[in-house]
Amino acid sequence: MRLALAIASFVILIVHGLVFYNQFFHKWERHQTAYFDQARAMAKTDAERAALEGRSPRIEQIIVTAFGGKNQVDRCTTCHIGSDDPRFKDHAQPLRSHPFSEELGDRMVNGKWERRHKFSDFGCTVCHDGQGRGLETFDAHGEDHYWPSPMLGYITQNWRGDFKPKLKDKAFMQANCAQCHTEETFKGAPLVAKGRQLFFEKNCYGCHKIEGMSAGTLGPDLSEVGKKFKLDYLWESIVEPRANSATSFMPKFNLSEEETKALVVFLKSRRGVNFSETSLDRYRATLNKEKEGSPMLTATAGTTPKIEPVAGGSLIVLGEKLINDRSCLACHKLGNRDGGVAPDLSFEGLLKDDKWAMDHFRDPRSRISDSIMPTFNFPENEYQAMTAYLMNLKTPPPLVDPSGMYSSLCARCHGDLGDGKGMISIYLDPHPRDLTKAGFMSSKSDERLMKSIREGVAGTSMPAWGRVLNDDQIRGVLDHIRKNYVKEPARQLKARQVPDTNPVVADAASIKRGEQIFLQRCTGCHGKKADGKGPNSIDMLPRPRNLRNADFVNATNDRRMFESILYGVQGTAMPPWVDYGLTQKDVGDLVNYLRSFNKPRQ
Amino acid sequence: MAKKSYFSALTELPANLWHSIFRNPLPSSDLGRSQTSFTNFFLHIHPVKVNKHTIKPWFTMGLGLITFFLFVILIVTGVLLMFYYVPSTEQAYNRMLDLRSSVAFGTFLRNMHRWAAHGMVAAVFLHMCRVFFTGSYKKPREFNWVLGIVLFLLTLFSSFTGYLLPWDQLAFWAITVGAAIAGYAPLVGKEIQFLLLGDTSVGQEALLRFYVLHIAVLPLVMTMLIAVHFWRIRKDGGLSRPEEADAASQPPGESLEAWPTELDVAPAQSAVAVQTVAAPAIEKKRYGIQGLVRGPFTKVGNVPENSVFSWPNLFMAELFVFVLTLAGVLVMSLLFNAPLEEPVNIAHPPNPAKAPWYFLGLQEMVSYSAFWGGVGIPTLEVLILLLVPYLDRGTKGVGKWFAKERLLANTLFLTFVIVNIGLIIIGTFFRGPNWAFVSPW
Repeated sequence: MRLALAIASFVILIVHGLVFYNQFFHKWERHQTAYFDQARAMAKTDAERAALEGRSPRIEQIIVTAFGGKNQVDRCTTCHIGSDDPRFKDHAQPLRSHPFSEELGDRMVNGKWERRHKFSDFGCTVCHDGQGRGLETFDAHGEDHYWPSPMLGYITQNWRGDFKPKLKDKAFMQANCAQCHTEETFKGAPLVAKGRQLFFEKNCYGCHKIEGMSAGTLGPDLSEVGKKFKLDYLWESIVEPRANSATSFMPKFNLSEEETKALVVFLKSRRGVNFSETSLDRYRATLNKEKEGSPMLTATAGTTPKIEPVAGGSLIVLGEKLINDRSCLACHKLGNRDGGVAPDLSFEGLLKDDKWAMDHFRDPRSRISDSIMPTFNFPENEYQAMTAYLMNLKTPPPLVDPSGMYSSLCARCHGDLGDGKGMISIYLDPHPRDLTKAGFMSSKSDERLMKSIREGVAGTSMPAWGRVLNDDQIRGVLDHIRKNYVKEPARQLKARQVPDTNPVVADAASIKRGEQIFLQRCTGCHGKKADGKGPNSIDMLPRPRNLRNADFVNATNDRRMFESILYGVQGTAMPPWVDYGLTQKDVGDLVNYLRSFNKPRQ
Repeated sequence: MAKKSYFSALTELPANLWHSIFRNPLPSSDLGRSQTSFTNFFLHIHPVKVNKHTIKPWFTMGLGLITFFLFVILIVTGVLLMFYYVPSTEQAYNRMLDLRSSVAFGTFLRNMHRWAAHGMVAAVFLHMCRVFFTGSYKKPREFNWVLGIVLFLLTLFSSFTGYLLPWDQLAFWAITVGAAIAGYAPLVGKEIQFLLLGDTSVGQEALLRFYVLHIAVLPLVMTMLIAVHFWRIRKDGGLSRPEEADAASQPPGESLEAWPTELDVAPAQSAVAVQTVAAPAIEKKRYGIQGLVRGPFTKVGNVPENSVFSWPNLFMAELFVFVLTLAGVLVMSLLFNAPLEEPVNIAHPPNPAKAPWYFLGLQEMVSYSAFWGGVGIPTLEVLILLLVPYLDRGTKGVGKWFAKERLLANTLFLTFVIVNIGLIIIGTFFRGPNWAFVSPW
């Protein structure tokens, strides 16, 4: 036991020795000693030499008070002690002096450089980031992956080696220039300006909000993105949107490396409140932009190619250019470019007309009430140009046999297996019909299904294929679906007691009764607002119908309404309400109620 | 004359100083050994003689002592850390950075405090297991077991309150989760949570409260209870031991159980007693003792027993445990740095947000049922633990590891231990984002 005691005591001694060694022999002391030695050798006067003689290593620090309202402590000069000593301009780091440059505003006065950004005022981390309090490179440079702001463009804490070389560039520090130089015309941070321009050009603003700049709601708010995330995360999120969120449907944009870099710098400069503005300023800017009307109009004005709409031909050319420049194809498909998020526009001219396209551009939800497409506030003449171009696309894909037609026209939404899980299906609301669900498919007559194909389904993304296919081709596609996906013949349905038109008069009393019934029976799935988002809706596929989709409700005749409510919709969660005590009169009231708030299109 | 006396006073100064501090020379006789024990403030809490069984290393494994020494290390390092810490949301994290970079020995102090705290939670739990598996909570030591459980809970609470102080993401979200668990209690849950946090969420008020609890309230209460805990060890007749341990030199006819087998008397009498160890039984005097002592009397006089002098046997063992504990903490602190994550970002919770490791068993149970996992089962467990000595009244199997007579009790307790450790392991290593099951490999 005494031996063990001795060994343990020895261990304690050793540990103490190591700890004391670490404590009293810092790296920064060696750097400072080296600096003093060399400075002494360079000293020209005895006084200078004597002053250096008296110096012993100590922690140097700059306390920065002017930025961000809090005192910031920068001890960087403890190692970089020669940073403001021009004689050390050719030394190796950490003693090398900080370069002077006209770009930074430094000026030559009487043969001597004068700094625009004096270290005593600005410290180091205001521009460079990093952790000012650290005295070891690991802490100070921000190599510790927990530290939120590693040195910009110098330390990459990336988990992906392929980004590493791209992120090492002092140009990334421009993000910090923009903390004070917020004006859009500032020339000193070209990447921030370019990134801001790209943010609008590439339509990022359609989905993302940046306070005071844009109001998109589809994607995450980017107002403080630069505070939350590091360069590598930002870069990765742009070039590989799903890397960090498997459910992200942000498209991959066709960006050059230089453009990505500009966007990363711009995003890194978004840190909520800047050094030079208060939150009140920011709020005021938002209010002003709202007052001016569309916030984006001013922002994009400078980037719009100024081509006067003259003849139809040049309008189409302009439209094509806009469709490409505005990243429409980051979501949509056109020809052989495909964003994989939104419908195919390759023969849009066949399926839609000018009015539909213009309405849809101004407000996508005016035509498809649950569309996720953002509203892009382009100038009216740009809408016209893009419409002109799209409506000129009238070449249908080659239509050979029903199977080919299905895969070229239907599979993008309904899926190669007909299960409604096509490439873009998750971005569509309502979800494309699952054609393998025999309960639904075999309980609907061929006429009804052919009508849906021929005329489309109003208020949804299902277009009127009758404009591309003739009735024989439609029947061929339906037979193909029945044979390959439904795998069950159409059932002969029992004759049902359903009126062709609603027998109940749509007066105020009937609507009131209908509302009562709706609140009692329907809200669990269809929601109190009848928008299809009731509490039970998330467990159901297909989702309950949005009954505020006016185009859809108005295109559905009374007979189908009565059938669906009284006898249910097979293959969905909609039950036959006749079994639960609803009478024809009740359903009449319900239909009147539903129609009362779905006004027909003017 | 005067000169000479001054001179001799000077030459004798070191020796006089020494004797004024340590009244006795290093002991060479039994009398000296006992006097050393009871004339020294720090040693007099020990009995002059201890049963040989008590200092068998594999009986206690020194777990209680380890816990106590870790507590001492925590007090010392904690006081030193207090010189640098400010319980303000604005400053706390910066103070951590300063500790790491600029304060002399700052990192090392923080590491020691951190690892000693984790170690203490573990050691106190193992100590509890030791006491249970050796059946040492039985009469007359029931209340000391209860005190031990209370100390265990206080240790957990101390560690929990200290967890918040670095004010980094790890701390903030662990406390958010921990306080939320407290909020699941019925009726008073939200009130407890509010009382703890001083707010509806973790913020400046919570930081201040946790700080005061951590550096003042809890250490004081724990010091008091530890003193009582130690006092009770002696008054309950020393550490538990099997009957045979006393029997070795027991004169025939002597009743065993009625007599606490230690000396705790005024110095003079004891000295006499010790000198006459070999003498046959002399007349016994009985003194009534006020206080927390179970059993009517403490016996004074010569008790033939299977014991050895505390000096040096017990003290050496204690020193050994101390040195080992200190060495362990030092080596840990040299090799592993206490974590310091991002500064608090309320808008950006980590996924998963995990409580401190010793509460991950709770969090794991909470993931099945908020009330039962977070409140119901833990309350039941604590209640049962507190009541153990009053439920298990058997007198057999005391002082032996895994005694055959205590098979049922030990099996039940072992199950309890394994289940809780298992839950902690699952919560620590097998839970990923959204508390989904992940494999650590």
